[in-house]
Order: sequence, then structure tokens, then C-alpha cells
Amino acid sequence: MTQGLYAKGLGKRFPGVVALDDVSLELQPGRVMALVGANGAGKSTLIKILTGYYDSYEGQIAIDDQPVHIHQPSDAAGVGIQAVYQEVDTVLVPTLTVSENVLLSGLATERRRFLNWAALHQEAEAVLAQVGLTLDVRRRVEELVLHEKQMLVIARAVSQKVRYLIFDEPTTSLSLPEVERLFGIIRTLKAQGVGILYISHRLMEVAALADEILVLRNGRKITQFPASEFDFGRISEAMLGSAVQDIFPPKTDTPPGETLLTAEGLTRRGKLKDISLSVRRGEIIGVAGLVGAGKTELLRALFGADPLDGGQVCVNGQPITLRTPEQAVAQGIYLVPEERRSQGVLVEEKIQRNITLPFLGQFSRVLGLIDRLREREHSVNTISRLGIVPANPDAEVQSLSGGNQQKVVIGKWLTGQPRVVMFDEATQGIDVKAKQDVYRIARELARSAAVIYASSDIDEVIGIADRMIVMHAGQIVAEFTAAEFDRARILEYATGSKPKLM
Amino acid sequence: MSAAASHPTTEPRVDRARRLFNDFIVKYGMLAAIGILILFFSLQNDAFLTVNNLLLIARAVSILCIVAIGVTISVSVDGFDVSVGAVTGLSVLLSTSLMVIWNMPWYVAILITLGAGLLVGLINSFFIIKLRIPDLLATLGMLYLAQGAQLMLTQGESVFRGMFNPWATERVQTTGDIAQPFKQIGQGFVFGSEGFNGIPIPIIIMLVIAFSVHVFLQYTRWGRMFYAVGGNREAARLSGIPVNRVRLFAYILSALLATIAGIVLASRIGSGAIRAGDPYLLDAVAATFFGFAVLGARRPNVFGTVIGALFVGIMLNGLTMMNVEWFFQDFIKGFVLIASLAMSFFLVKRSQ
Repeated sequence: MTQGLYAKGLGKRFPGVVALDDVSLELQPGRVMALVGANGAGKSTLIKILTGYYDSYEGQIAIDDQPVHIHQPSDAAGVGIQAVYQEVDTVLVPTLTVSENVLLSGLATERRRFLNWAALHQEAEAVLAQVGLTLDVRRRVEELVLHEKQMLVIARAVSQKVRYLIFDEPTTSLSLPEVERLFGIIRTLKAQGVGILYISHRLMEVAALADEILVLRNGRKITQFPASEFDFGRISEAMLGSAVQDIFPPKTDTPPGETLLTAEGLTRRGKLKDISLSVRRGEIIGVAGLVGAGKTELLRALFGADPLDGGQVCVNGQPITLRTPEQAVAQGIYLVPEERRSQGVLVEEKIQRNITLPFLGQFSRVLGLIDRLREREHSVNTISRLGIVPANPDAEVQSLSGGNQQKVVIGKWLTGQPRVVMFDEATQGIDVKAKQDVYRIARELARSAAVIYASSDIDEVIGIADRMIVMHAGQIVAEFTAAEFDRARILEYATGSKPKLM
Repeated sequence: MSAAASHPTTEPRVDRARRLFNDFIVKYGMLAAIGILILFFSLQNDAFLTVNNLLLIARAVSILCIVAIGVTISVSVDGFDVSVGAVTGLSVLLSTSLMVIWNMPWYVAILITLGAGLLVGLINSFFIIKLRIPDLLATLGMLYLAQGAQLMLTQGESVFRGMFNPWATERVQTTGDIAQPFKQIGQGFVFGSEGFNGIPIPIIIMLVIAFSVHVFLQYTRWGRMFYAVGGNREAARLSGIPVNRVRLFAYILSALLATIAGIVLASRIGSGAIRAGDPYLLDAVAATFFGFAVLGARRPNVFGTVIGALFVGIMLNGLTMMNVEWFFQDFIKGFVLIASLAMSFFLVKRSQ
């Protein structure tokens, strides 16, 4: 008998899209298999099949030579397959205690009429100890921070006799020490004979953890090799289908043009303090700062999305009213917002209808009737200009990968006449190829307009910007030109360990 | 090139047949259900499938349709206007009492009534957009306000020719009347010929409204904005859409359509019956949500709403012709509603 989980010829089709096509994999107890691929490569689909999210799919799954049938989540749990998703909140009950959450499935199924709280907590502590976790089991889950919740989910999986554990981008929102702790737990589980399937964008993590690496692209298995042959270039090439050079476009060497927008003393109680800046045609201004530094608030203020308590924005030297995004859009001020799905796109609409939404007037004839031919032609052009996949204007946005959704958000603004285009964490959760496209578009836009690019990823701001402002606690604390960019110094200002410059 | 084009589909035949069947039911299930209903009733009663009876059904349904189209508009911006039935009732009482009690010409009565409808829409929007009361609660409040206004208008009396003036200090009969042109709106026919009564005017009014709103929602940029606001208000706002103006407009349209429906209703019954508008609320909401299932639209749409209203109307007319007692009818209506909605929504979920 061969031990392990074997999946053969897995495939999943949706109308018009093949999400996964003939992918086989083997996962052995006590080994870590890393699954890498760009967004839309089929990683999520594969996980969903293995965890019983889909009722029907192609291919067979066997464990220890015995065929297993996984068509609903309980089937997967029944054969010892569990997953730790990015969004841990969806599988926890926030108002219950840690103990109750750890033992949730037992509480639901066992025939207990009354709870013995002391025994319950003890049992939960024992489970947590198994993964080397010390948490107050009496706390409510809603009081925990993200990485604690994540540990809790892992502990719960362990308590349910997990044999194969899937991690889906577990480190996206973790700090470095937290990542280290997570890796420790994964290694412990591995030593206990659990088979691990580890999905991540971050190749350095893959190098640190994996025994075996499997690369997916466009729903297909491209290659698989042992971690001993790890090679950054080889993996990137397999993921993207072409070798990656520098992912940032070259910076401009022409001096910026005239001033397009100035802001004086923007203030919003508790969020923004006396912010002044000016942006000029032809430049990308980076806004660096940690999460919560006020970057989003600044961009939203310049877009008229939040009310201001004070300050004035001028366009071409003329003061403008900015109380609604509508007014900003009329001035050519556009925003690619932080939350793509809830703020950027209409997920249930077609790509086409998203792209033309802000400038429907351009596609209207008498009585506001929409010229559908022109609308379609324009969408097809925008789709090909941005390389959106699938290149089908009728595809619903919710069926697209994150990177392609983001391109739709950007595509909305290409229809207008941009003066200032603002990007807020525009590459969060999208793959390298899509990131590269976003940078390229930002640079293109900066030729005729000004771009404000805000990100908590300092390397990204260094890579893309011609000039940078650093924010901390709602204020601008430093400003650098491209020649002065220095990671360590920027970090000092961003963390507030150096007082405000200027 | 899309992913689908690069990999030819090799789906097993059984799965494919099941999927096609699912797709068919999702798209045409509601229409098929109506077909079955018509077939069933015409087998039961020869008089069912006649031009005159079908026009009778359509006339009965047209008022409901007008109200339901208003509800559809409010739902399309992700709002909900439950004041419509009460507004319809207020419109019945206001239009008739202006003529009967206050002796106004019929056209002035209509204009004032429409003005009142506009005002209701404005007040609803004020509650919802400015005061930020959740739409369901705000319009529920308006439901009571409109119902109360309706009762206060005549001190709870129905309006008819020769009624005693409730506002006079002595007992005097009113001298006003419901004018003949006004009655034509609900009772008249056009395009009549020998042996054919013609098409009832309410049907014409309903068709004009349905067509206009359909074109408005499906083919104009304003309609696009309505659905955008309904799909995700914040994303629409951050796309520069004047979200509040769109919502204001939606609630005004909804109230105006309910008012128009009330005028047609008053004209048809030829008097101002108290609370005549109330039942339209539930039927209109039902028709709107029925409409979600028609042609697999999964969103409020005028065509679906009209079909939904017809469905309700055909069922009631057929049951009446089969001499089903009136007290059974609500129950049967509820049962058929649930059955067809369950079918559509369940399968939509399955096919995703």
C-alpha cells in the first residue's frame, strides 16, 4: 500500500472558462508540497475541489490507495482534509470563546445537554498545546488578532484528526515574527506526519518550507520539481510563461510639467492633520506609510469621498469644491480604491458595463439611450489595452481573478480625461504579472497626467515613484526625491521613530 | 483568447443534458409555468381562453402592473418602497374627493393628485437619503402616514356622488360628481369595432408605462446608473455616479406610479372606496420578485414584473372561473408563488 493523497486528472469548468484542467498531484504524509501560480492559475479551484466546495468536478481522488468521494465539506473533513483560508473569520464564530470555537464541531454533534465549562476549557487548552499555542481559551474570538485566529483554526483542524492540511496564502497579513511562528507550527505538524499543501505568492516562503514545488498556470500543471532544485528564475518563468526582468518600468527622465493640483492644509479630525502637497504633470508621487498612517484617508479626501474639516484643493490654481466623488471625476481626478471588490467594481455586472460606468455620457445618444455598439467597441479596446483575461466584455467581473478585476477598475478611468489618477494599495493580492501591468499603466498615465501612488509596501513605492511623501499618524513626515530614496530612512519616518522633517 | 476557446469542452453527455435542463428551467421556468396555468384553465373552462376574458384579465392586472413597476424601480436601486399600496389608496380618495366634495374639474383633480404623489416621493427620499432612515422603515412610516391622510381626508367616509359633505357643519349633500372623462380612464375602450369591445384604456396606460420604464432601465444611461447603485452603492459613488440623485429619482418614480395606479383605480370603480389601494402592496412586491425569475434575470426588471403580475392575475381569474371559493384563493396564490420561486432560485443556485 502506498500512503498518501493522490488526485488524478482534476478538472473544473465553468461556462466559458476552464478553471482547472487535468491536474494531478500527490501529497505524502509528513511532506510539504508548495503550490504556486499567478492569480487565475487555478490554485483556489484546486483547493476548493479538495475541500469539498464543489459538488461536481472531473478526476479522481484516492487516499492510501482507496478511492474517496469528496462532494461536500463534510466529506473532506471525514477523510482528514482541512484547509486554513486567508479569510479565517468566515469559519469562526466571533461571539463565542476560543474553547467553543476549537471544539465547535464536537459541540454540535455530540449528545451533550449541558456544558461543563471547566472541562471544555481544559480540553481546548490541550488541543492548543498540541500545536504549541498558548491562548486564553476564555477570551472571545472577536477579541483576537488575525494571527491568533489563524492559529486557532489550525488547532481546530488538528483536533479533528487532520491528515492533510491546506494553507491558502496564510501569511498575507502577518508580520515577520508571526510568520516565523506559523512556520514553526507547520514544521511541527509535518513532523507529526501531516501532509501539507502550501499555497503562496511569496517564493521565499516556498523556498523555506517546501519539499516539492508544483507550478500551475492557466488551470494547468506546468511543472513539478523537488525543492532542492529551487530556482527563483525558473519558478517565475513557469508561473508567468516568460522570464521576469525588472518589474518596474523605467522612471521618467524628463522634468515634470506644470502643477495640476495643489492641496492646502487638508484636515479631517482624527485622520488627517494639515496636509499640503502639489502634484505636477508627468510625475508619479509615491505615498509611503504603514497601514493606518492616513494614506487612504488622504486619497479619499482628494477624491471627495470623505468630508473634510478644513483645507482647500485647487486645480490649475482655481479652488474647487470637492464634496462628492462626482465633482472630483468632473475635474479629472480619479481613484483606484483600496477595496477592489466592495469599492472598485460591480462584481455582478459584465466587464463592459463596469468599464463604461463613470463616463456613460460618452456613449449616449438622444434621450440618454446608450450606443451599445460604441460601448462594446470601447470595451474591447480597453480590454486588449490592459490585457484583461478573459478578453470577453460579457464576462461577469466576479468570475475574474483579482488582478484582472483590478485592471477593470483601472479600465474604468481610461475612458475619461485624467488629470490626477490615484492608486490606493492597487497591487494588494494580485500576482506578479498583474502587478507589472499596473505599474506599466501607472507610468503610461503619468505621461499626460499626474499619478499619486499610495502603498504600505515601501519597496513598491521606491520602485514606482519619482518623488515620495511619507505619512505617519495622519501627517506628512518626510519628502524625498528619487535620488534620495533610502529604504532604512523611509522606514524610520514611516514608523514614527524619527520626528517630522521640515 | 479566452480560456474556454483554448480547451475544447469534453463534458459527459449526462451532465450536459442535466445542465441544459437546469439552464432551461432557470430561463424559461416562469414562462412555462404560465403556459401550463393557461392550458390547465382553458381545459377546465371553455370561456377562459377567449379574447374578451384575456382582456378582462389584462385590465384587472394593469393597475397592479403599474404599482409593481414602481416597486421594481425602487428595488433596482437596492431600495424598497412599501408605501405604494397606501399611496395608491390615498390617490383614489384624493382624486375623487377633489371632484365630489370640492367640485374641481377632473383635470385639476388629476394634477393635484399627481402633485401629492410627487410630494410623497420627495418626503420618502428626505427620510431615506437625508435622515438616513432605512428604506423599509421610512416607507413603512409613510405607509401609515398615507393611510392616515386617506382616512382624514373624508373623516373615514368613502367618496361617491351625493355623499354628505364630511367637512360641512350641517348635514349637506355634496354637489360634485366624478366626471365622465375621468371615468373613461378606467372604464373606457379604444379601437373597438362591431362584436369587439375594444382594448380597455387601463391596458394601454399600463403598456405605455411598462414600455417607457423598460426602455429607461435597460437602454438609457440613467437606467444603467440605477442598476449600478442597486448593485453596489459605494462602488457606484466612487465611480462618480450621483448616487443620491438616482435614489431620489427612484423613490419619486415609485410614488408617482402608485399615484397613477390610484387614479386609474378610482376611475374604474367610479367612486372613492376607502382602502381600495391596500391589497396592491403585497401583490406588487410578489410580482416584482417573481420577475427576478423570468428569463433568469436575477435582478428587478420590468418585463419580468409584468409577467409576474400576469401570473398572479391569470391564477385569480382562472380560480374564480372554476368557482373556487374566494377564501381559498390567497392560500393557493401563496402556494404557487413559493413553488415557482423555489424552482427558479434553487436551480439558479445549483447551476452556479
